[in-house]
Amino acid sequence: MKLRGVSLRLVPLVRLVAVILSGVFAAGADAAGVLRVLAWPGYADTEVIRSFEQKSGVRVELTVVDTDESLWQKVSANGGRDFDVMAVNTAELQRYIAADLVQPVDPARIAGTRRQLPRFRKLADIPGLVHVRQGRAEAYAIPYTYSTMGLIYDRRQFAEAPASISVLWEPRYKGKVLAYSGGAHSFSLAAQALGFPSPFRLQGSEWARAVDKLIALRRNVLGFYNRPEESVQLFLRHRVALMFANYGLQQLHMLRAAGADVGYVIPREGALAWLDCWAVTRGARDVDLVHAWIDHLLGDTASGLLARRQGLANTLVESDAGTSSDRIVWLAAVEDAPRREALWARIHSGDRAIRVLGP
Amino acid sequence: MKVGIAVRLGLALALVGVLAAGLTGYYGYAESRAMLVAAAEERLLTSTRVLVRQLTVGLENTARDVCLIAEHPQAARLLRRADPAMQISSERNVALLFQRMLETHPEYFQMRLIDAADHGLERIRVDRDVSGVVRIEGDELQEKGHYPYVFETVNLPAGAVYVSRAEINHEVGAHAGQGKPSLQVAAPIRDRADGPVLGLVVINVDLNGLFAQLAADLPPGLQLYLSNGRGDFLVHPDPGQAFAFDRGQRASVQEQFPATEALLTGRTEQAGQLVTTSRPAGREAVVAAFVRQHFTSLHSEDDFILGLSQPLAAVVEQSARLGSATLRIVVGFSALAVLLAFLLARALTRPLNQIVLAVRGYAPGLPGGRLPSARQDEIGVLARSIEDMQQQIRVQFDSLEEKQRALDRLASHDSLTGLPNRRLFLDRLDQALAHARRKDGHLALLFIDLDNFKIINDSLGHAAGDAVLCAAAVRLQQLVRASDTVARLGGDEFIVLLDGADDPEAIAHLAEKALGALAQPVMHKGQALQSGGSIGVSRYPHDATGATELIAMADKAMYRAKSGGRQRACFAEAP
Repeated sequence: MKLRGVSLRLVPLVRLVAVILSGVFAAGADAAGVLRVLAWPGYADTEVIRSFEQKSGVRVELTVVDTDESLWQKVSANGGRDFDVMAVNTAELQRYIAADLVQPVDPARIAGTRRQLPRFRKLADIPGLVHVRQGRAEAYAIPYTYSTMGLIYDRRQFAEAPASISVLWEPRYKGKVLAYSGGAHSFSLAAQALGFPSPFRLQGSEWARAVDKLIALRRNVLGFYNRPEESVQLFLRHRVALMFANYGLQQLHMLRAAGADVGYVIPREGALAWLDCWAVTRGARDVDLVHAWIDHLLGDTASGLLARRQGLANTLVESDAGTSSDRIVWLAAVEDAPRREALWARIHSGDRAIRVLGP
Repeated sequence: MKVGIAVRLGLALALVGVLAAGLTGYYGYAESRAMLVAAAEERLLTSTRVLVRQLTVGLENTARDVCLIAEHPQAARLLRRADPAMQISSERNVALLFQRMLETHPEYFQMRLIDAADHGLERIRVDRDVSGVVRIEGDELQEKGHYPYVFETVNLPAGAVYVSRAEINHEVGAHAGQGKPSLQVAAPIRDRADGPVLGLVVINVDLNGLFAQLAADLPPGLQLYLSNGRGDFLVHPDPGQAFAFDRGQRASVQEQFPATEALLTGRTEQAGQLVTTSRPAGREAVVAAFVRQHFTSLHSEDDFILGLSQPLAAVVEQSARLGSATLRIVVGFSALAVLLAFLLARALTRPLNQIVLAVRGYAPGLPGGRLPSARQDEIGVLARSIEDMQQQIRVQFDSLEEKQRALDRLASHDSLTGLPNRRLFLDRLDQALAHARRKDGHLALLFIDLDNFKIINDSLGHAAGDAVLCAAAVRLQQLVRASDTVARLGGDEFIVLLDGADDPEAIAHLAEKALGALAQPVMHKGQALQSGGSIGVSRYPHDATGATELIAMADKAMYRAKSGGRQRACFAEAP
């Protein structure tokens, strides 16, 4: 009778322990089981993800971004704790470092870096990748892919390649132009068209002129796109003549694959160019796993697909990406990213100048 | 343990019974379950078609609203910019109309009249706001020429209606509609049917409102899915999966219901394709039906795929009840089958066992076990055959026994006189001696030899001799007690065993009586044959203890009597 009493009292205790243990293990398994990746279209195709999942045993949760602004909003929303690793260009990276949303990455732990081209291995030579913190130089990202943002034009509508970005504003191409919907790049583009000293450092009255220029662009375009596939659809469906290629060679590749007779040109004002890198967020749950992911993407499968399927350059082999031209303007951190985005949101929504620059 | 035929037969019969009941039950259950699932799929498909119809009707109503305004003379007049005064009144009238429509259509976020000139400037715009329906004027009006709903619509023929993709509205200043799933329905405005497009009317439809209406009439337990033509969820029971593409993630119908792949790879122009599918895995399993809808009458940028699902558990709930009922029936019938098998096996093996017992217990002369020979079946035939066989054996055994008895008699008795012969006599003497030795008893032997026998035999023939012998035998037997033995040793020699005899006088007296009896003439064929006898007496234990010595002593004494003048008896003398 006494024994029975004891065992009866033990039952709830055993249950409680079981619940606690299962909770602990479930939480542990969950944390270890998912790698949250933020990437751009085409950076991590399904087979790349599947092979990493098989190799590592974790599930990859991919989120695709199509503007720098949405990348920033996603990462900054929760102090970088919602994602583990992201693809970001060297210019944008600076605001993440400044806001302490990313943490240093160790190239020595990524075997794949040893196969990269020498210019991508010398991280210190790439502006913005290495920062000195408390007397120590630390790398914040590993280069992955790069492209210029030139102009794509329909060869049947242009006798010869357009020479200047001002062609985007030409009335005779009204409704035949496609541009990208992104604040930072749009203002840089306007600054280039207006001949400002630096496309990344607008000041004083330059802002108002840039806004006017972008409104003029808006009035000349057929529309704005976010994703490369969206741009390709619009291009083909509306017989577009000219497009500002934010995704560069990736779009050129896709258009040609779709049968379009298109050319690619670096305008005389110079083409903006981006170098996208993998960076580790401050809130990454498993830094080792992130390093393994970066290593995986520097492997032949991922980097090979990047070149073959997306037409983008990878960092393993030299490509004819046109980045050797002296008219390349590598993206740099802009003077006031939030301001550019806020103004752009109004411009894109159709506001007129007085209201764009208003309160 | 030896497994008997009854056990084996019973087991086999029970197994067949249980198997038959079990299989019937199982297939009945499986079939009914499949029927229930098929019926549920059919039901879901019908409901989905109804929903698609509702969605289509809803969109067509909106399309009618858009056309109504686009074809209204006020709209074209407003865009022609003819008379400023009339334009103001037209604007007021159209704005009023928009306001009324927004008030009566809670699923509309926004109604606009957009100028094809001025880069798609909004001329009349009425928004839904937290405070109600408001008209937007002045600087707040925006240029929308670069949005697909404008540049696509201005290229449409008269009377056509544009329907955009379902997307989250990111346009700044869209009031209640900003950041919400919406759909733009637009129609071009023309002065006359073949004239240039002057502008367009756009209605922003609140998709959540539209979908809520769809889901409102659903019976409980059903879940609604809606995706665009690429399979991206717009409505999902888990709200986190709806419009995932807007957040850069993928949540698609083909991933969660692989069978819908057929809907996505099929030609997009084709309307009304459908597929039903059961997601297989475990407790999460659902029965679902999907229908792809292309709006043929509208210039829609995209198709919709509508689906309904119901948990498989709910569908097969009835079949689970049926299953438990079937199980009870199967168990019942199995028990019955086992019982019947037992009874049948017993019915078959009991007569067999009876036969076995009867055959085993059979001995000639004994009554034996009863056979089930009254049965009319094969067992009856077997029993009767065995009975016949027993009968034959009994008859043969009886005759054999008869012959055996005769042989025995021949071996132990004298065939002429019927007296025990020498062999039987010696046997009885041994027994009597053994008994006497054990009990300190006594016995005596009278060795008798007939006188004149040889003369009678030789002169009157064997028949006469035989008659003398027979008469002697009868007379000697009449003299002694039943316990005494008279035997013929051979020829004319007889011997009498007197069990228990001790007193010489009594023995002598008996010998005298025997001599007297033998001396009586024997009548044969009218002749009186005169014989007689000589008797030698030996006693146990007085004269000897062994049978041979005792007989020899009596024999010797008989010779003395014979040589002493016959017709006398002599006691054996010590040698």
